[in-house]
Amino acid sequence: MVPLRSRGFAWSAVLKIAAFVIPIVWLVILSEPNAHAVPSYSRQTGLACSTCHYTPPELTPFGRKFKLDGYTFTTKAQVTSEDKDHNSGLHLLESFPLSVLFDASYSATKSPQPATQNGNFQFPQDASLFLAGAWGSHVGSFVQVTYDSQADHFSWDNTDIRMANNSGHLFGKPLTYGATFNNNPTVEDLWNSTPAWGYPWVGSSVAPSPSAAAIINGTLGQDVAGIGGYAMWNDHFYLDGTIYRSEHIGGPQPNPGTDFGFNIRGVAPYWRAAWQTSTENNNVEIGTYGMHMKSSPNTITGLEDSYTDWAVDFQYDRTIPQFKNDVLSFRGTYIRENSARVATFAAGGAAQPGNHLNTVQGNVEYHFGSRLSGTGGFFNVTGTADPLLYAPAPVTGSGTGSPASTGYTLNVSWWPEQNINLGVQYTGYLRFNGAGTNYDAAGRSAGANDTTYLLLRLVF
Amino acid sequence: MHSKIARAALIIVVAGFGLAAARRVRAQNDAAKAYKANCVMCHAANGSGDAPAGKALKAKDLRTDQTQKKSDSELADTIAKGKGKMPAFGAKLSPDLIKSLVAYVRDLAKK
Repeated sequence: MVPLRSRGFAWSAVLKIAAFVIPIVWLVILSEPNAHAVPSYSRQTGLACSTCHYTPPELTPFGRKFKLDGYTFTTKAQVTSEDKDHNSGLHLLESFPLSVLFDASYSATKSPQPATQNGNFQFPQDASLFLAGAWGSHVGSFVQVTYDSQADHFSWDNTDIRMANNSGHLFGKPLTYGATFNNNPTVEDLWNSTPAWGYPWVGSSVAPSPSAAAIINGTLGQDVAGIGGYAMWNDHFYLDGTIYRSEHIGGPQPNPGTDFGFNIRGVAPYWRAAWQTSTENNNVEIGTYGMHMKSSPNTITGLEDSYTDWAVDFQYDRTIPQFKNDVLSFRGTYIRENSARVATFAAGGAAQPGNHLNTVQGNVEYHFGSRLSGTGGFFNVTGTADPLLYAPAPVTGSGTGSPASTGYTLNVSWWPEQNINLGVQYTGYLRFNGAGTNYDAAGRSAGANDTTYLLLRLVF
Repeated sequence: MHSKIARAALIIVVAGFGLAAARRVRAQNDAAKAYKANCVMCHAANGSGDAPAGKALKAKDLRTDQTQKKSDSELADTIAKGKGKMPAFGAKLSPDLIKSLVAYVRDLAKK
C-alpha cells in the first residue's frame, strides 16, 4: 500500500485549507440569513437561479428560452418610453445588471510537477465581473471580464451579446430569431453538450492538461470575434451560423499576426443545427455543430493551415417526480477534426501536413434538487501521431508524438445557497499525451497528473 | 332646429362608440403584446402551457375551467403578485394592462 503522502494527497494541507475555508463560508451564510441567489439575471427576472439552471451552468428549458430570447425577459419595473411615430422607445432596467463571481480553490496533482511545490491554494483563482441582463426590449448580454490571479490582471472573458425577436411565425408555427456577437465558438449555444458550457464546469488552472484539442473545443475562446444569426422554429429546430475573425486580446491593431498561433484568413464559419423535444419530465436534444478555419501561424500572409471540425452531440434531462423532481442528465459529444497544416509543416512545426483528431466526451449527472449534484464524465482523444506537433517536453510534451489522452472526471458540488458553491473534483488519467507511463520521455506517468481540486465559488 | 340638435347628438354618440371601440382595440393590441413579451415563454402562444419551459415548470393551461372559473380579480391578483413558480408582474405591468391581460386570457379559451 502506497502511503497517501507519497501519492501526493496532502491531507494536512487539506485540513489547513478546510480550517480556513469553512469559517468563511459560515461567515457568508450567517451574515446574510435571507440571502438568495441574486446575480443580475435573477434580479431582473425575479426568479431563483434554479429556474434557469439545474445547477449552474446547466440550463433548464426556461434557461434556454431566456438565452434564446436575448436575456431580455424581466418582471421588474423599467424606465420606459413607447416607440411612437418618429420616436424610438426605451426599455431600461431600473437596476444595473451587474454581477460578481469569486472563486477560491485548492489543487494537488498526484505527483508534484518537477521543481515545483504541490498543493496550490489560489485565493482567488479568479474573480469575474458580469454585465449580464437586458439592454432593451430585444437586446441583452452575457459579458464577463475576469481577474486571473496568475496573470495578475483583468482580461476580457466569454461574451455573448444578443438581439432577439420572439414573436415571429413561419408556416404557422412560432419562430424566435436573432443575432449574436460573441468571442468563443459555442458560447452562444443553448445546451451543455457543446464545449463552451460543457463538462467539467470548473477546473484547476494549475494542473497539467492534455496538449491536443480541436479548435472548436476551447482553443479559440476569447481569441476571436464573431457575428452570427440564429433561429428556433416551433420550439424544436434550432439553427445557428456565425463567422469569426481573429481578435487577439492585448494584441496590436491592425493585427500583424506575430506571436499568435492562429490568425484567421478570411472568415471562419461556425454552424450549428439541433433538434429538441420535451414532455413534462423529459428533455431531449440531438445536434451537430462544426467550424472551418484557414489560419496562418505567427503571420497573416503566405501559406495557410486548414482546419475542419464537425461534431455531433446529445443531451437528455430526465426529471424524476418520485424523487422530489431530482434531475438525471446525460450528455455527450464527438468531435472530428481534419487539418491540413501546410504552413506549420513548411515552417518545420509538423512532420506531415495532414492530421486528424478525434474527441469523445460524455458525462452523467444526478441533481439532488438544486442543493447537491454528482457527476461522472469520461474523455478520450486520439489522432495522428506527429513527433514535431506533439514534441517531447517534461510534463507538457509527448514522448511518442501521439495526441492520445484518456481519462475521467468526477465532481460533487454542494450549493448551501443557490449562489454559493462548494465543490470537490477528481480528474484521473489513464493515458496522457500518448502513453500511460513515461509519456513525456522524461519519466512522468499519466497518473502523476491525476488532480484533486477543491472549489469555493461565491456569486452575487 | 330640432333636427340639428338630433344630428349633433347622433354624431356625438357615434364618435363616442368609435372612440370606445378604438380604445378597446388598442387595449387588445397592448394585451397581445404584453402576453407575447411576458407569458408566451411558459404558457405558449395558445395558452396551453406546452412550451418546453412551460412543461418543465408545469405551467397551467390557461384555457381550462380551472383557470377560467377564477374571477377577474383573482386572475389579476395572480398576474400582479405571482403564484408558485410564476413570478410577480405587478412591478412591471400597470393595473390597466393587467386588466387587459385578464381579458386576453379569457379570449384564449374561446379560440
